[in-house]
Amino acid sequence: MMAEVQVPAADDDIDDSKYVSGLPGILGIIDVGIARIEAVLLAIGVLLMAFNTIANVVGRYVFGNSLYFSEELNQALIILITFAGISYAARHGRHIRMSAIFDATSPAIRKPLMILIAVVTAAAMFLLTWYSVEYVMSQAGRGRLLPAMQIPVWWIIVWAPLGFFLTGLQYSLTAIKNVLHENIWLSTSTMEGYDDPREEEV
Amino acid sequence: MSLAIFGTMILLLLLGFPMMIPLIAGSLIGFVSLFGGMGQLDTMVQQILAGIRPASLIAVPMFIFAADIMTRGQSAARLIDLVMAFVGHLKGGLAVSTATACTLFGAVSGSTQATVVAVGGPLRPRMLQAGYKDNFVLALIVNSSDIAFLIPPSIGMIIYGVVSGTSISELFIAGIGPGLLILVLFSIYSYIYARRHNVPVEPKSSWGERARAMQRALWPLGFPVIIVGGIYGGIFSPTEAAAACVLYALFLEMVVFRELSIKQLYATAKSTGLITAVVFILVGAGAAFSYVISFAQIPQQVLGAIGIDDMGPYAILFTISIAFFVGCMFVDPIVVILILVPIFAPVVDSAGLDPVLVGTIITLQVAIGSATPPFGCDIFTAIAVFKRPYAEVVRGTPPFIVMLLGVAVLLIFFPQIALFLRDLAFAE
Amino acid sequence: DTWRYAFEEAMDEVQGIFAQKFKEEVEANSDHTVQLFPFGTLGESADIMEQAQSGILQFVDQSPGFTGALIPEAQVFFVPYLLPQDEEQLATFFEESKAINEMFPPLYEEQGLKLLTMFPEGEVMMTTQEPVEAPEDLNEVKFRVMTNPLLVESYQAFGATPTPLPWGEVYGGLQTGIIQGQENPAFFIESTKMYEVTDYITRAGHNNFTTAVMANLDFFEGLPEEEQTMIQDAIDVAFDHIIEYQDGLTEESLEKIKEAKPSITINELSEEQRQPFMETAEGVEQEFLEIGGDQAQAILDQMKADLEAVGAGSDS
Ligand code: NA
Ligand code: NA
Repeated sequence: MMAEVQVPAADDDIDDSKYVSGLPGILGIIDVGIARIEAVLLAIGVLLMAFNTIANVVGRYVFGNSLYFSEELNQALIILITFAGISYAARHGRHIRMSAIFDATSPAIRKPLMILIAVVTAAAMFLLTWYSVEYVMSQAGRGRLLPAMQIPVWWIIVWAPLGFFLTGLQYSLTAIKNVLHENIWLSTSTMEGYDDPREEEV
Repeated sequence: MSLAIFGTMILLLLLGFPMMIPLIAGSLIGFVSLFGGMGQLDTMVQQILAGIRPASLIAVPMFIFAADIMTRGQSAARLIDLVMAFVGHLKGGLAVSTATACTLFGAVSGSTQATVVAVGGPLRPRMLQAGYKDNFVLALIVNSSDIAFLIPPSIGMIIYGVVSGTSISELFIAGIGPGLLILVLFSIYSYIYARRHNVPVEPKSSWGERARAMQRALWPLGFPVIIVGGIYGGIFSPTEAAAACVLYALFLEMVVFRELSIKQLYATAKSTGLITAVVFILVGAGAAFSYVISFAQIPQQVLGAIGIDDMGPYAILFTISIAFFVGCMFVDPIVVILILVPIFAPVVDSAGLDPVLVGTIITLQVAIGSATPPFGCDIFTAIAVFKRPYAEVVRGTPPFIVMLLGVAVLLIFFPQIALFLRDLAFAE
Repeated sequence: DTWRYAFEEAMDEVQGIFAQKFKEEVEANSDHTVQLFPFGTLGESADIMEQAQSGILQFVDQSPGFTGALIPEAQVFFVPYLLPQDEEQLATFFEESKAINEMFPPLYEEQGLKLLTMFPEGEVMMTTQEPVEAPEDLNEVKFRVMTNPLLVESYQAFGATPTPLPWGEVYGGLQTGIIQGQENPAFFIESTKMYEVTDYITRAGHNNFTTAVMANLDFFEGLPEEEQTMIQDAIDVAFDHIIEYQDGLTEESLEKIKEAKPSITINELSEEQRQPFMETAEGVEQEFLEIGGDQAQAILDQMKADLEAVGAGSDS
């Protein structure tokens, strides 16, 4: 019974060209564009982080000079990655959740529950959007600089409100999609069930 | 307030909300009730950002990236083939190798999350193929990775040493005994598991086959050289070693093996970013939650209420164990150490307990707590990387927790498990 | 009321001792309670500073070096060989300095903070793997410094390779050898066990770690006058206490280190040996004037005048 397990290779990559927005018309085109930008930011962010870290090693050994802004650049990148990623994850239903009880209930309960989850999550994200805008503004107001790069701190954290907002938007669309359409949707583009339907033995 | 917070969190968690929501909700209730309204929620945002910002966390995405490249290409398979050529014919051999690899990698890299990915990533599919059940495999990976907390260098022990003023060198040495004991127990369990579930063994490889496996693994053997040699040789910090692995993996898979296209590189980087984001937002939300606990001085209230001041040594050690175990179930281990150690310090001092023993016990509890539901970074990482449901990731955990708690109790009654090596090394 | 006070060190380190004394005084002379939050329990240095600015915390202790991101002038405390090396002169300087007591408060007020006091935490010492007697001995040495342009500049001027490393990685970094040196006051070297992984402690007298205690400005100004006086009195008592506490603390910490690790070499550089280190200070001063904000020149001049006044002028 357990012999047939295949090694999951690269087949679970998200194909951005197949992404369909939950928004109509021009808004949909913008949304697809944003999805693409998020994907590119994720990939570039990770690659830059690797090269930045290596460059610091090379600088230290080859040129006898640490890139003392390296740490701050990595901080900027990890914030960028996290907040571009939470929205991208929301689009594709990839946020971590404990679905054991959810999955065990009947579809008649699951659907309204999914709507509730999406609405509450969206509300929480919009709330955090508001307060992270406030936080960014207060940082900008205080004029705090990153010690090594000597650039304002708020430059590297503007991604927080943006990420929260886009995530909230995705969950709102998910709620709407669940109201308007049949089936249960984890996101506008993902129906429920893990992408690996082999053994749904939760 | 505490009750409302924990109740809400558990409820949201069980209903199937995205895991960040229980943590965010817990912090929200905390902030609103502590500050009488929404006025200070920008500090909650500050704490979320503070949680994802620490420089040492950068090792996590870097190891995820390197491991993903290795797994998509040939490096990982060749390394595992090499291990299998030597242990494939032994009952439970693959499981024991996985546990050992997780322990060693975790010890060196200093990041249990990175271990889940870098070792668990390539080895899990192979264990599934070999016939182990997924819930066993996942629990083995997560729990073995956490042994790394006890093996030097251990960030938990460094923080404990600094906060309590205990010799970090002595702590490092004291961690080795319990760490190895746990690894031995896990290995025995793996063997029993393999027998009970009749996991098939492969035919014993000939020395010729082994030589061939060795030859095929020659290039990929550069990875352990970079990680172990680079870190212990003082060339790289763990984070830099991770980035060096990325570079080396790119070189092998794109130049030497020609396995990875630019397009796949892009897909790999993107998928690394995605996994990083879903784990890190939980780390951030967890930091905001820790802040509430810390600010409201909840541990002080709870511990004050149970009267630790009047306890005997064993009772104190048990109380410490339980406090750290419970704390780490919900809050980031480092924060738990920072908050709780100063509270216990006077009691430990007046009871004349050995601070090195206490540090070892605490580190062990931290390790257990990080692998224990409901909240645990390594659990989140496993879910995100392996894309398995939460329940399945934690379902195989109980036997491991039992073994870990067994060692924790042993350590209280037989402190020599930890102190033997310390006394040997630091004898006058 | 419950007042909250966060600082950058552990409870039994210098900032913690100061905070405990302050708490004791406030609670003895008023109905208020002071809750103390040591290092890391409410976030890192920058985080607790922001919390004090937004009024979540009533009091915060942050070292001016960190404050440099907010108040560039505060980085003056990183200019090497500016502060007197004699402890008594140093204490008098902090009490009487016009720069500290008159010029800095308005700069802190602009950031919503009431500067209550600044006090020294102890002579900064280098810990290294090899002996350091001249700047040449630091050549090629990867030296961990805090991420601050002036510290980077100082150690570059000494000839070292300044290597920023997150605090959590310093101990491991010294052990494996990614870095070969770091600097801190003696009590901190002792409490954080840095001596376990280094073999030489060098006293070049180049700096004394300074820290500052602040209150949220709106909170402070909203208090009745007698409460403000009560706070200021508590600060003064804590200041005297911390100066007294530190009398001999450095020697005591070094004793403890020696006891724990007899093989360690503690080397106090002679006036003559310090000379080449001192000569590098000029360049760092220039750097400070460039990045130290609008009042950099005025602050630096006033500091020098104040030092002259306590008989510790830079004419040495
Ligand atoms: Na470790
Ligand atoms: Na946990």
